[in-house]
Amino acid sequence: MTCWRTCRRFADAYVGAAFRRPVQGGLKTALYILLAAPAAAQSVDPSALLKPPADSWLTYHGDYSGRHHSPLRQITPDNVGQLGLAWVFQTGQTQQIKATPIVANGVIYLTTPDNIWAVDARNGRQLWRYSYPMNDGFHIGHRGAAVYKDSVFLTTPDAHLIALDARDGTVKWNVVIADAKKGYWSTNAPLLIRNHLIVGVSGDFDNLPGILRSFDPDTGKAQWTFYSTPPPDTPGAVSGGATGGQMWMTGTYDPDLNLLFVGTGNPTPVLNGEVRPGDNRWTCSIVALNPDTGTLAWGFQASPHDTHDWDAAEVPVLVDAEFGGAQRKLLLQASRNGYYFVLDRTTGKNLLTTPFAAANWASSVDEAGRPQPNPAKEPSRDGRLVAPDEAGGTNYRSPSFDPATGLLLVSAHDAYGIYFFKKEHGKYGWAGADYGVYGHGVLRALDYKTGQPRWSHDLHGGAGAAGVLTTASGVTFTGDSANSAIALRTSDGSTLWHSGIGRVGNSPITYELDGRQYVLLGGGTSLFAFALPQAR
Amino acid sequence: MILVPLMRVVQITVLILGCMAALAAQGRGRGQGASPASVRPTPATAPQGFSREQIDSGRTRFAAQCGFCHGRDAAGGEGGTDLTRSALVGTDVGGDKIRPLLRSGRPDKGMPAFTLADADVTAIVAFIHDQREQAANATGNRRTVDAGDLQTGNADAGRRYFDTACARCHSATGDLKGVAARYEGLPLLQRMLYPGSGGRGAGPAPKPPAVRVTQRDGQVVTGTLAYRDEFTISITDPNGWRRSWPTSQVTYTVDDRLQAHVEQLGKYTDGDMHDVLAYLQTLR
Repeated sequence: MTCWRTCRRFADAYVGAAFRRPVQGGLKTALYILLAAPAAAQSVDPSALLKPPADSWLTYHGDYSGRHHSPLRQITPDNVGQLGLAWVFQTGQTQQIKATPIVANGVIYLTTPDNIWAVDARNGRQLWRYSYPMNDGFHIGHRGAAVYKDSVFLTTPDAHLIALDARDGTVKWNVVIADAKKGYWSTNAPLLIRNHLIVGVSGDFDNLPGILRSFDPDTGKAQWTFYSTPPPDTPGAVSGGATGGQMWMTGTYDPDLNLLFVGTGNPTPVLNGEVRPGDNRWTCSIVALNPDTGTLAWGFQASPHDTHDWDAAEVPVLVDAEFGGAQRKLLLQASRNGYYFVLDRTTGKNLLTTPFAAANWASSVDEAGRPQPNPAKEPSRDGRLVAPDEAGGTNYRSPSFDPATGLLLVSAHDAYGIYFFKKEHGKYGWAGADYGVYGHGVLRALDYKTGQPRWSHDLHGGAGAAGVLTTASGVTFTGDSANSAIALRTSDGSTLWHSGIGRVGNSPITYELDGRQYVLLGGGTSLFAFALPQAR
Repeated sequence: MILVPLMRVVQITVLILGCMAALAAQGRGRGQGASPASVRPTPATAPQGFSREQIDSGRTRFAAQCGFCHGRDAAGGEGGTDLTRSALVGTDVGGDKIRPLLRSGRPDKGMPAFTLADADVTAIVAFIHDQREQAANATGNRRTVDAGDLQTGNADAGRRYFDTACARCHSATGDLKGVAARYEGLPLLQRMLYPGSGGRGAGPAPKPPAVRVTQRDGQVVTGTLAYRDEFTISITDPNGWRRSWPTSQVTYTVDDRLQAHVEQLGKYTDGDMHDVLAYLQTLR
């Protein structure tokens, strides 16, 4: 049953792309499917991302919507208590797993800085490993890979993009995304949209323009570059002298609107706002881009004139649902600045702005729905007590939207920090000093219409390091801030299962192979797969 | 002004008891409680004697492996300490303290262990020491907070605030007597706000809270909190042994005195904060 369902999904994807002409009659369709399925199973067709098969996790968010939600139902609130270890993959590295695993064709692609492993999704055995040569880029973390046809893509600490043969890890090509010598690096999991591979970079410690680039996934040829802040001396620039706004997180995509949604990072210099007056567009923003050209359709600024390192890089979650009495195309973001935003993603118009975590930095919300920074909470010589702290009201790990309950589950962080800036700190890079004072992590289940928590689950520590996964059966998977992977009942947040695998540092995913549903979580430097018990 | 009260987590059996000794109890002598950012570097205990080649090689290795958290210049970045003012670096001789720390990491503070070639570790050590020496001689343009920067409060106003908000647990003539002689500047401010903060070096952590565990058989066990999460309660008993229970098997209370500091964070104005600091600075 499962096999048939899976094969059919692959075939649908394949047929959708390759057989555009009308097909006549059921028999012929069936024949195409039988012929097409085996061929399709060896190669990831970009159109599969529009309807991802249940045996895969084909892209960073699982699908284009960023909901981090699975339709799988084998593991339920009633049986999740029996969940047991299926296998463990040990990286043998010291780097914590922060990446979301990508699963295609029964193979898991897992990354850390400079490393990618191909692992058998049925048993956790390593198939191959590729290690990028020693380099001088920042080795802070890695978000994940991308797959397309028979290629898998890896970004590197020195801001290169590499295409590898998905079968054996040999390098097909290697191109420069941005100049690492200037201070760019990349942790990005690229996003594939048709024949565009969209890749972001980081660069917080230098005053650098914010760039997002698109490459041809077949050849590595550059297609376009979008600037969130302009290169120096750009006429008509709207950034007010700010650089930064790096797009280091994977975006989401609406195929009907043909719009790509990406969150942009903080401005630079980071804590010194004096030298960059005004709103500093398009830093700390959600931007909607045409993926074919990289042109801006609209932008919404979550933190105008940020001086606290609060990227708006968190996942822009796409939901089609009722809001204000009408069915709408919505974009939800729980942002690092502690505010929850609902936008109409067709136009970028703000529908709701409300805090979801401790926040004391805004004096008001303007008519465009943007919190207005209180000048008295900008970093100062004598220090300002600010909520949230630098780590933010949440951070980049994936939230999850559960359609059945209308809940956006967010790893929230109620936190205070003290922020300092004086002239002596200069106007380059960080340009200030800040110190965390206290923070506490809580998983909050926000009603998407109001942003108010329907329930909260204590994570027993500081900021959570785990993303959130919900499944159609009503189970939520995440990690607490202590030592455990946990499963909760999505409707009320009660604990159903836990396993002390070490601190979960990535976003959980799930897939079903051979009729068995697996849930994957990174615990420390190992990847753990859980499933229900088998007969033997 | 939008002020969102800190959403308190309801702990079933947490009690807030007694007065707080946390600020006063730890750290005799300045060095112990000092934040790297507000203390001038002390002379290293020995000349380090690294070559220019090692230092230059260390610059690139350091930037790649350490720079995000500690800053490319080792003077602090996102979340990591300013190593040019670190007490550990100040007492390191040729890597005898830094090298083992790199190998083991500090998982509790988010620092991973590093598997690097010996030559790379040596180069990183060389670079850190070189940066430290340069920082000792540098003026301006640094991410520092000096005690003088914090002197904007009014001590009289601070005393009045203290009497209302802090005196329930603290006393200027008791636990806080002489506190300004033990801490100053940023470390004093950090401990005032939350004694357990420590993230970037605000002195030793406060004494762990007292815990009282009642087992199913009715037996009561007391000790100090060693670890707690949703599923485990763990104490250090009076003899120094660790004991753990699944939280589902026992009931327990934790005398979590610091919760009052957490609640105060949502109440302070910046003026209050500086006033109370000014008052504490008079307690010599």
